[in-house]
Amino acid sequence: MKDLIALIVFGIVVAALPLFVSSGFVLNIVIMTLYAALLGQAWNILGGFGGQFSFGHAVFFGTGAYAAAVLQVKFGWNAWAALPAAVALGAAVGAFIGALSFRYGLRGSYFALVTLAFAEVFRILSNTFDFTGAGVGLMIPLTESAGNFQFTSRTGFLYVILGFTLAACLVAWWLKHSRYGAWLQAVRDNEESAAALGVNVFRVKLGATMISGALMSAGGVFYVQYFHYIDPHIAYGPGVSIEALLAPIVGGIGTLFGPLLGAAALHLFGELTRSFMGDAPGISLMVYGLLLVLMVTFLPRGIMGLLSGSPPVRKGGSRA
Amino acid sequence: MGKQNSNRREFLKRSAAVAAATATGLAGFPAIVRGQSGPIKIGVLHPVSGALAYSGGLSRLGAQIAIDEINAAGGIKSLGGAKIRTVLGDAQSKPDVGVSEVEKMNAEGVSAIVGAYASAICLATTQAAAKYNIPHVVDVGVADQIVERGLKNVFRFAPGYRTVSQQAMNYLHIMNTLAGKPAKTVMIIHEESLFGTGTANLLSQQLPGMGYQIVDVVKHANPTRDFNNIVLRMKALNPDIVIPANYYNEYALLVRTMKQQNVQPKAIFSVLGGGASSFKFVKEFPDVANGIIDCNHWYNPKDKRALALRRKVEAMKGQFYTYEVFLNYQAVHLLADGIERAKSRDRAAIIEALSNSTWDKHFMPYGPTKFVNGQNQGAQPLMMQVLKGDIKVVLPNTYAQAEPVFPWKA
Repeated sequence: MKDLIALIVFGIVVAALPLFVSSGFVLNIVIMTLYAALLGQAWNILGGFGGQFSFGHAVFFGTGAYAAAVLQVKFGWNAWAALPAAVALGAAVGAFIGALSFRYGLRGSYFALVTLAFAEVFRILSNTFDFTGAGVGLMIPLTESAGNFQFTSRTGFLYVILGFTLAACLVAWWLKHSRYGAWLQAVRDNEESAAALGVNVFRVKLGATMISGALMSAGGVFYVQYFHYIDPHIAYGPGVSIEALLAPIVGGIGTLFGPLLGAAALHLFGELTRSFMGDAPGISLMVYGLLLVLMVTFLPRGIMGLLSGSPPVRKGGSRA
Repeated sequence: MGKQNSNRREFLKRSAAVAAATATGLAGFPAIVRGQSGPIKIGVLHPVSGALAYSGGLSRLGAQIAIDEINAAGGIKSLGGAKIRTVLGDAQSKPDVGVSEVEKMNAEGVSAIVGAYASAICLATTQAAAKYNIPHVVDVGVADQIVERGLKNVFRFAPGYRTVSQQAMNYLHIMNTLAGKPAKTVMIIHEESLFGTGTANLLSQQLPGMGYQIVDVVKHANPTRDFNNIVLRMKALNPDIVIPANYYNEYALLVRTMKQQNVQPKAIFSVLGGGASSFKFVKEFPDVANGIIDCNHWYNPKDKRALALRRKVEAMKGQFYTYEVFLNYQAVHLLADGIERAKSRDRAAIIEALSNSTWDKHFMPYGPTKFVNGQNQGAQPLMMQVLKGDIKVVLPNTYAQAEPVFPWKA
């Protein structure tokens, strides 16, 4: 229950932020942090709670982004109407990939590779077909109004992404406290034992993939509405997949607040390194990379591990 | 030591600026507190790291040279000789980072922004700048949608994609007609993103109407490290003209593979990005460079200011005089002219001045500027050919330094 209260407090604090913050610079950082947290939490539901590490979560992100863009550009849909359709399509792609992978017992690095391969296949397909704009990509017409999911101020986008992120966190909270969540974590810890206890492993993993895919595609829709442009590399390239798994790895895999903390830390580091070293090309990225290596080395359970009193790393790298 | 001190001071200044920007935002005061005296802050935003780092670095170089020259010549005279202070930004080759940099520049109180090289980044940064009414001079960004969204703050000095492609086809047709129409078949080889695919689509739609048969359109990934199969196919099809639409590395590899396999079309003709608009290519691959043709952004070769800038850039170690350099150089001068005439560092006044710009003190083949919906109407590309190891303008005649050699005989 404490988790839920903390989540509600977090939501209220962020929602109240525009009352005290007028700087677009600050609001943009908060928006992009919440966006990274959403992607991170989507990955965390499958990778952290379900133990199915994906290296190709961009496949869901890109599907959501392209669905929203295609429905608006080619079929004249309103962006709000395109949102549930895109989310449903993300879940459907999750069901398709999950069914194929789990049906043939793919797990561990094999599952990671197959998701990576699917993202690449989708990238090539979107690069080929005209209805996705092929290599040219798709641009959303600029018609700024709340009714078009294109807000004139940052505040509107802040509330939308806050809503998406809180929804993802509530799903994670539910996984921590529900029977389905217990099944999922049991499958993560020992698939054979879970199956022996009567858990339908296939269905549980499939459900997690669909939820994860739906949330990830919501992130894709948000990206398209915020930046108004999508192309195959942005949608299905490795950048998004890496961004999705970095936040929970840094924050704490399989925890409720890990992706939020990870996204906040990563964006804070990113902004600071860019602010102070932006004039020397590449240095900021090198420092950012170094910080990541240090965090992963010394905080293997992420920031949540540090906060929950994780034992320190002993000499030689082993844990106490 | 002096350099170190300067860096430390710069670091502290930046820390204070970011802290101040954040603090003013948090306190609920307007985030933009533009000083009415002191230097005029100009945001110079490019992808200087990531996949586009090379072009981004050259773009930054061009802008910085212009700013240094303006400051050395006494700054903005209508504002009492106010100097321009550069606020550098790195979009890291990503649109979202570009937006973040615009936000930061707004918080630092820039009067205008120049950038951001790539179309996808420009689409995002121009719109972010529009939220604060920041004038945004687009340096390269050829996608026409950049200036077709009704954003009043956006100005593109150079030609857009449609103009360049249309003009390229016209030049190709003129050249072919003058030579007695020896070329009838065309093969297009393009990279897979916006630039290559867009070019290939446009050319393959319009060239048949001009009497050319498209024998094949081949798409390749970025990067591609082996063109042997594509060139073997080319050999079998034996097109009169090969049109590559790809980036530097792939272009170089393709042309070298053609040389190795002894494939000699009547012309290798590129749109926006071939070897005949790259002194780097001519220097690095002299054996295959001769005869190749490009239609691209280019300076008036008869203008002494363009040649002086070329000498200046080539005197710098490892630098080449590319379109990124001179387009950014000119973009900054265009902006400076706008500020000079606006007699103000106010963003709205600068936008107004740029909208009414009739600037002609540049060395591009554009004539006086005239912006309609943010696009400079006189902007046009030129056609160049590598002849005797140097890049020569061959069309249109007004700017031509030599006659086009077509068909090319190796």
